[in-house]
Amino acid sequence: MDAFKLMKELRANYEQEGYYIPKETGLNLIESTEQNGSGISAKCRDAQVEDLWGLSSFFGYSTQTFVLAVNLLDRFLALMRVQPKHLSCVGLSCLHLAAQRSEPDAMLSSGHELIRIGQRRFTASDLSRMEKIVAEKLHFTSSAVTPLTFLHLYHQVALGQSPSRKEVLSLEKLEAQLKACLRCMSFSKAKPSVLALALLRHEIKAIQSEDMLEMTCHVQRHLKIADGELQYWGERVARCLSDYASPRCSRPNHRKLLWVVSRRTAQNLQSSSCCAPDLPTIPEGGWDPSQSEDSSEDLSSGEESLSSSLEGEGGYFPLHLRRRR
Amino acid sequence: MSAISASEKVDGFTRKSMRKAQKQRKSQGSSQFRTQSALVELSPLPQLKDVPSTEQQELFTQKLQQCCMLFDFMDSVIDLKSKEIKRATLNELVEYVSTNRGVLVESAYPEITSMICTNIFRTLPPSDNPDFDPEEDEPTLEASWPHIQLVYEFLLRFLENPDFQPSIAKRYIDQKFVLQLLELFDSEDPRERDFLKTILHRIYGKFLGLRAFIRKQINNIFLRFIYETDHFNGVAELLEILGSIINGFALPLKAEHKQFLMKVLIPMHTAKGLALFHAQLAYCVVQFLEKDPTLTEPVIRGLLKFWPKTCSQKEVMYLGEIEEILDVIEPTQFKKIEEPLFKQISRCVANPHFQVAERALYFWNNEYILSLIEENIDQVLPIMFGSLYRISKEHWNPTIIALVYNVLKTLMEMNSTLFDELTASYKADRQREKKKEQEREELWEKLDELQISHSGLAHSNSHMLHNTNANNNNVVVNNNNNRGSSPLDAAQNEAMEVDVPAEGPLGVY
Repeated sequence: MDAFKLMKELRANYEQEGYYIPKETGLNLIESTEQNGSGISAKCRDAQVEDLWGLSSFFGYSTQTFVLAVNLLDRFLALMRVQPKHLSCVGLSCLHLAAQRSEPDAMLSSGHELIRIGQRRFTASDLSRMEKIVAEKLHFTSSAVTPLTFLHLYHQVALGQSPSRKEVLSLEKLEAQLKACLRCMSFSKAKPSVLALALLRHEIKAIQSEDMLEMTCHVQRHLKIADGELQYWGERVARCLSDYASPRCSRPNHRKLLWVVSRRTAQNLQSSSCCAPDLPTIPEGGWDPSQSEDSSEDLSSGEESLSSSLEGEGGYFPLHLRRRR
Repeated sequence: MSAISASEKVDGFTRKSMRKAQKQRKSQGSSQFRTQSALVELSPLPQLKDVPSTEQQELFTQKLQQCCMLFDFMDSVIDLKSKEIKRATLNELVEYVSTNRGVLVESAYPEITSMICTNIFRTLPPSDNPDFDPEEDEPTLEASWPHIQLVYEFLLRFLENPDFQPSIAKRYIDQKFVLQLLELFDSEDPRERDFLKTILHRIYGKFLGLRAFIRKQINNIFLRFIYETDHFNGVAELLEILGSIINGFALPLKAEHKQFLMKVLIPMHTAKGLALFHAQLAYCVVQFLEKDPTLTEPVIRGLLKFWPKTCSQKEVMYLGEIEEILDVIEPTQFKKIEEPLFKQISRCVANPHFQVAERALYFWNNEYILSLIEENIDQVLPIMFGSLYRISKEHWNPTIIALVYNVLKTLMEMNSTLFDELTASYKADRQREKKKEQEREELWEKLDELQISHSGLAHSNSHMLHNTNANNNNVVVNNNNNRGSSPLDAAQNEAMEVDVPAEGPLGVY
């Protein structure tokens, strides 16, 4: 796509994006809800998104599916008051909806499989009902304008005339970073165009490409994105990504995974876990002279007074009783 | 009478149970019993408790001597009265030795050991069932058990008597005694082996002078078992005794013991009947590692060397043992073997046998192993990733897929950056492979299209075709050709020209 068309496309999406941003008041409500209260808290939402990330990774879904699912989830949560116990159903139905739109048929897994692997407790009919509700409330038909849309467009712009730059500015890396950001609720408030641009600029600064940076300024002016806004989100992105890249491992609180094994393996595990012998330990004689293999002949009377309850090592026994060779 | 129908006779595959039912148990004559030509009856002696203490010693000796008479239990009807007398006498002797003090005077030792030797030391009869499979078949029990059991009991009480003096006893309980005792471990009767186990354990504990000899003989038995006969019924019991011995080793471990571990215990894992004694074997190995953690690396490398290739049951056992070892491993030792170990685990995880895969995946349910993996995630994840990702798509068993999800999720959360990198590179690799496959397919299709339609041209042009194919990689010189630069296209074009140049060979190159 040539530069002119790209810019037009960007403009068109920019004008549309407002429809796809979650309601701000709704998001604020979630952020202010306490952890174990009656509503959904930010932590709940983040945990659910983590789960969806895991599932979409496992099933090999594209970034598009994941980003769309998160978008649907955020919009729905901002709109409707959802009880925490229904959150996992909402999350999974968003993922299923997104997958149905974005994934080729061959890659699609059935609702049953999603529920089984995701270790959810509701049924497939629950899932499809929830999907209908979500689709209805959000007037969802085919797709949405998400940060990913912008990211792809920006990437094409940045590559511009030199497609060899693909090696330097990797789209996969950018997508991974976007996914990392989306796991944090605070980014749901950002406008997709701004978030994507902030992300791109962060990466371009990292690879230190001056002319690509200029290109982004060009885009910024074209879409009339305010400097302050861009900087605000830029800082947040930087912080989030430094956490993501840190070697420190983190195991967030998640519900314990269910390990289902077959009956035979379960039996096997049970029987092998008990093997304490019932014979008492025989301590090795501290100065047992018959250590080496050739000294198996009868020993002198010196060691006869020893009983089997020897405890320490050599010094326990009086010198004159030690065997002399 | 034959229980097999005529049709089954013709069939040739008669069921094992039918054959067994047919076989009549033949009484095994033993030379032990043949010397008694005439029926000898035992005359009942007075009870020990009824006799004044001065005469008890004498009576005790007499009873011991009386019990040296052996009876044939194969024949269930002869000598019933005498058998009963002997049984009652043995019972009494057991009581006498257990409850009274001052019984074990020096003169009693030879009598006691002589009675014991006469009764228990015998050549074990060959097995009734030559194809005896310890896991499936019922063992042949010892016929004389009513007497022999009491003799074993007596020996045990004798050893455990508070007045027992190893210094006197060692004249009679010597190497020959121990050797004969060890041979009895091959008995098919598990009750007998159980007694022998306890008895040998006590002997090892009390007779320091015999310890090295016992260890050496056990060594020999095991080596014969592993490398020569592949048959010995008492491996599990001997290993149990060894477990309590290893537990008591003094530190630093002697070289002899380390040798034993590497030369005997590790190779023992290759035995066919591993299932019978694996629990005890694993316990011994783990005990060694708890005593000396530096042995971890050679032990694990040894197990990996002998890893079963075709027996899945064994593989499951090995995995269980590895988990037990990992439960006690030190983090520094873990670092040394993590690479070869996880390479093997990643192969197990992808194994089509569901039990093997399940057992390997279940490692991730172990907290301590998880903490070890977390510390070394940078080395472990790249090794495991490929097979986990692959089987999540390809394995036939849905339970396995669910477990793989658990494992991947756990790994994902340990280091998401690395996980994402690996996912991306895995996908890139797969795409490259797919592209290669496609190219190959296209090449074959092109070759297919190269149908030589004109039979006239077949002979002359096959020559050219031959050259074309041989020169596939070279630059093709095409004079009149504007179409693609593929050498095949060129050949095709040449082949379709009807006017074959008259001069010289048609080889173009």
